[in-house]
Amino acid sequence: MLKSSLLAESSLPRPRPVRRRSLQLVPWAGVALLLSGCQGDRVQSSLHPAGPAAEAVAQLWWVLLTILGLYTLAVFVLTALAIFRRNPLGRRARYQGRAFILVGGVILPAVILVPLLIYSLTTTVALHQPDTGLTIRVVGHRWWWEIEYPGQGIVTANEIYIPVGEPVQLELTSADVIHSFWVPQLHGKRDLLPGQTSAFWIEAERAGVFRGQCAEFCGLQHAHMALTVEALPPEEFAAWIAGQQRPGDAPADSELADSELADSEVADSELADSELADSELGDSEVADRYASPRVAAGRSAFFRHGCAACHAIAGTRAVGQAGPDLTYIGSRPTLGAATIPNTRKNLLAWVANPQAIKPGVNMPPTHAPAEEIEAIVSYLQSLQYEREEE
Amino acid sequence: MKDVKEASEQLHQIWRKPSGFWGWFSVVNNRLLGVRFMVTAFAFFLIGGVLALLMRIQLTVPENTFLSPQTYNELFTMHGSTMMFLFAVPMLEGLAVYFLPIMLGSRDLAFPRLSAFGYWTYLFGGLVFYASFFVGDVPNAGWFAYTPLSASRYSGMGMDFWALGLSLVELSGIVAAVEIVVTVLKFRAPGMTLGRMPIFAWTMLAVGVMSLFAFTTLLVATLLLELDRTAGTQFFNPNRGGSNLLWQHLFWFFGHPEVYIIFLPATGIVSTIVGTYSRRLLGYTIITVAILVTAFVSFGLWAHHMYTTGLPELSLSFFAAASLMIALASGAQVFAWIASLWGRRPSLEPPLMFILGFLVIFVMGGMTGVMIAIVPFDWQVHDTYFIVAHFHYVLIGGAVFPLMGGLYYWIPKITGRMLNPLLGHASFWAAFVGFHATFFPMHLMGFWGMPRRVYTFPESLGIEGHNVLATIGAFVFGFAFLIFLFDLLVSLLVGERAGENPWNGDTLEWSISSPPPSYMFLAPPVVRGRHPCWHREPKGSEGDLAERASEVLWGQPTAWRGNLITEAVNATPQGIQYLPGPSYRPLLVSLGLLIAFLAVLTKLFLVTLVAAVFALGVLAKWLWPDRHVIAMLRSSELGRREGLPILVTGSRSTVWWGTICLLTILATALAALTYAYFYIRLYASEWPQTGLDPPALLGPAITYGTLLVSGAGLFWANRAFRGGKANAIQFAFTLVVLSGAAFLALAVYGLVQLPFSHRDHAYGSLFYLHSIFISLLTLAGLALVGSAQIRVWSEHEDREGSMKLQMQVTSLLWYFVVVAGVCTFTTLYLSPYVL
Repeated sequence: MLKSSLLAESSLPRPRPVRRRSLQLVPWAGVALLLSGCQGDRVQSSLHPAGPAAEAVAQLWWVLLTILGLYTLAVFVLTALAIFRRNPLGRRARYQGRAFILVGGVILPAVILVPLLIYSLTTTVALHQPDTGLTIRVVGHRWWWEIEYPGQGIVTANEIYIPVGEPVQLELTSADVIHSFWVPQLHGKRDLLPGQTSAFWIEAERAGVFRGQCAEFCGLQHAHMALTVEALPPEEFAAWIAGQQRPGDAPADSELADSELADSEVADSELADSELADSELGDSEVADRYASPRVAAGRSAFFRHGCAACHAIAGTRAVGQAGPDLTYIGSRPTLGAATIPNTRKNLLAWVANPQAIKPGVNMPPTHAPAEEIEAIVSYLQSLQYEREEE
Repeated sequence: MKDVKEASEQLHQIWRKPSGFWGWFSVVNNRLLGVRFMVTAFAFFLIGGVLALLMRIQLTVPENTFLSPQTYNELFTMHGSTMMFLFAVPMLEGLAVYFLPIMLGSRDLAFPRLSAFGYWTYLFGGLVFYASFFVGDVPNAGWFAYTPLSASRYSGMGMDFWALGLSLVELSGIVAAVEIVVTVLKFRAPGMTLGRMPIFAWTMLAVGVMSLFAFTTLLVATLLLELDRTAGTQFFNPNRGGSNLLWQHLFWFFGHPEVYIIFLPATGIVSTIVGTYSRRLLGYTIITVAILVTAFVSFGLWAHHMYTTGLPELSLSFFAAASLMIALASGAQVFAWIASLWGRRPSLEPPLMFILGFLVIFVMGGMTGVMIAIVPFDWQVHDTYFIVAHFHYVLIGGAVFPLMGGLYYWIPKITGRMLNPLLGHASFWAAFVGFHATFFPMHLMGFWGMPRRVYTFPESLGIEGHNVLATIGAFVFGFAFLIFLFDLLVSLLVGERAGENPWNGDTLEWSISSPPPSYMFLAPPVVRGRHPCWHREPKGSEGDLAERASEVLWGQPTAWRGNLITEAVNATPQGIQYLPGPSYRPLLVSLGLLIAFLAVLTKLFLVTLVAAVFALGVLAKWLWPDRHVIAMLRSSELGRREGLPILVTGSRSTVWWGTICLLTILATALAALTYAYFYIRLYASEWPQTGLDPPALLGPAITYGTLLVSGAGLFWANRAFRGGKANAIQFAFTLVVLSGAAFLALAVYGLVQLPFSHRDHAYGSLFYLHSIFISLLTLAGLALVGSAQIRVWSEHEDREGSMKLQMQVTSLLWYFVVVAGVCTFTTLYLSPYVL
């Protein structure tokens, strides 16, 4: 409660007693180094916390490792002594043995474990769901994540943007089987259960991209059901929200898209589109993309090949719900639920035949001539939100 | 008196295995079945190991394409299911089936035909699992089969193979449990009080009781799953009022004790071997208490597997306390072993090496176990490779290493030949080093973000090196078992003769030749301490009942298989138990069940019906008391000597104890069904679902009232039986049968009249299931009451011996049916008005 009220009042970084304590664990620095890995960037590591919840758990781990590790070593030493030493005890072995068993096996562990369990319970309580903050709804699908910002009217997929230094409420549910939401650098896991909504939360205390992955076996492509969480400084986050709230495709385009059906019309719409784009948006890069006839051809191919049956693009008549929303697909960092980076080459390969990249995924191959696929990809890449501050 | 040679030849004639090819199928001797269990389980272990190696190859490098995702998912499902259900439990059961009677000083298990039945159902269950490979639809929803992934909407026929195969294996586990519990309680050598029993027997007793509860719960859970899949019920379908978490609760209520069902016998092996090598076992009482605490508390820990589903915080401190108890109980055992070994300079032979390897690995796995019992920590590592590392440390470290130690220790007793110590050391070091190389890096992989059950991983996680190491380690680990098999083969061919007691062991198996004779003991050994082979305690007084019983049974009986029955706690002789010889009935019943299950798979429900009727028919024949046997036993001279009756009744009889076990199983099943009802009720927004009215009370009250009438009738029948009033008995029995039949008719009529079907919603599914369960119980009870009535009618002069026993057993079961009826009535008809 105290924590959440603090958060409500100020967005300043909070003091973290947790971190100060972690400095006391110097003896484990070597092990820590080994565990932290020498490779530097760990994109999905629970020992590289970037938020208060993950940090509290990492802290808990170092305490557990210290205490239980020492006890383990003590047991090993005793075992070795037991085997290699000659018995100095005589007839009283039975009584001494009993004392040894009770002290070493019951009393000492109890003395160690009871405070440890109390400490862990305090950690559990400290990780209590805060009651403020932005709400994001996460719906698990086989095998991707539907992300919705209900208050902001934003829908996206496989990427979550959050403001640095603020707790974010998550509403988790599933459209099919059980999944589990896990971004280890921010918090532990929480299952996404079909038919019920679970409350969870994450918070990042520094900007960065944190990888997450489904942690409950959900079928064929469980291995390729990942997502990214990007924490942005508050002003950048606000800009992201604003950018996302604009319709992805210009309204005029969507009308055209609605009306176009025949090839002849496509040519017209291309013309109209490019003129429109030229006149309205002038020299901006985005405008250039819209201006391209290829993008317009791609848009019409997108509808002609039935992509809209499963995908939605805000502002167009593409409102399919079966697959991920594509409103700003051009700005997404990854494809196929964080399976591959979102490059032009990868997007081409994905649109042409996703089965080659993620076998068994629900999206069928696109049976279209290469140039049409190129065009669709151009159109998809053009779907980028405007980063105002850039 | 006969000389030893003559006596042993006579005993061998009656105890030897049936000869010929067909004879192989009728074997009921515990030692032969024990070996079959162990060989079959080891074969499944090797298959499961090969599956694991294939998975390790796939995971060596990121984004590998050695296996398709489909194949990988099938392999890890089969690997887990094989190791848990087809290897670990049956292997330890096999060890118990072989050694428990010998350690206890008995000639066989309490129910020899039931052991054979257990083996056949286990084998058939395993074959059903693997038959899925030939159909090309292998189970792929994980060994834990979480719904709705395992529902028919998301999983193919493979999961039917899984559920049905598993049901057979569970059945095997349940009957083995009955077998073990009754044997430990009733077949101990005279003088072997509970306090003198070997620790291994203590662990098996605990595990037997646990299995009754745990396997029955799993059987109910898989039944519900299979009904959802084939009969269209809605137990686990959240769209129709069912609950996915119900499956998890039921599964882990089995699944957590399962870990200890595997681990406790392994600790029994450790205590045995540590005791032998240090020539003492300190802390016997502490170890026993630790075993019982572990067994009991393990049923309170199932939520450990469900932390990430978001459990109420209030319950967490309860689970923390339960975890603490387990940690302390395990700690006590570990320190007892260290204390026993302390300063005894044990010779480091292969059996002990594996036990020391166990100590190292298990302590590490135990520590990570304490960690993951802590909720927030578990939130991070749950379902990651940290968990994979943890449970392989506790299962391989905690069960496979002791088991290997146990095999090196006991194989000389089984085969009569020693294994090669050099090869034993080679096998140990390959296993120990390979194990750590495989599983230690997995802790780190888990921290760095590798979830479980992924067929591949991205390069960006930075765990390639660890995965390469794990794969190499896995092959080294696998190699250890090839060395063991080679060692075994060499030993069978040219191994040194073992003699009676190669390790100077203290338990009774070391008092007889290696391999043991078919009848095992010429006479029941009289036990006066915890270490019968080490200390020849002074003989008791001449009139001592234990000594006299041992004398009576010296080389006896020779016309039939007989074993001494002793009292459950003090092991004072109580009578002589007749044990049946070779029989095909266990195989035929198992075959009937197998065919019935396969027919469910292929949706040939008529065949299912026919096969089930066949199985029940053979079962009835099996259970029906054999007139000739009874006549033979009644005329036996043996029963008239020294007050050791042959046809015993009540708690003296193994049958009575077996019935108590059966009632425990049935009560557990009823409890699981009731739990399912109230769990779904608790989370339902309205009850009954979809705006139905609560069921009317008057009709059902009459229906279930007839059951009460039948209970009263049976009470009357018992009184008349004791009083010897032949007409009154028949009259009372007729009342029981008629009112029972009336209940059945009314219950079925009530079901037909229901305004909803079992497919409509979870409430409907539950309503039908409870009604059908009590109806089937009644039907089975009626069959028993009817047969008792017929037997009393045709042999009405006999009111002692087997007839009295049959009355007792029938009464126990029928009273249970009446109580179950009251419970069902309360659940289905009263609770909607109260809750």
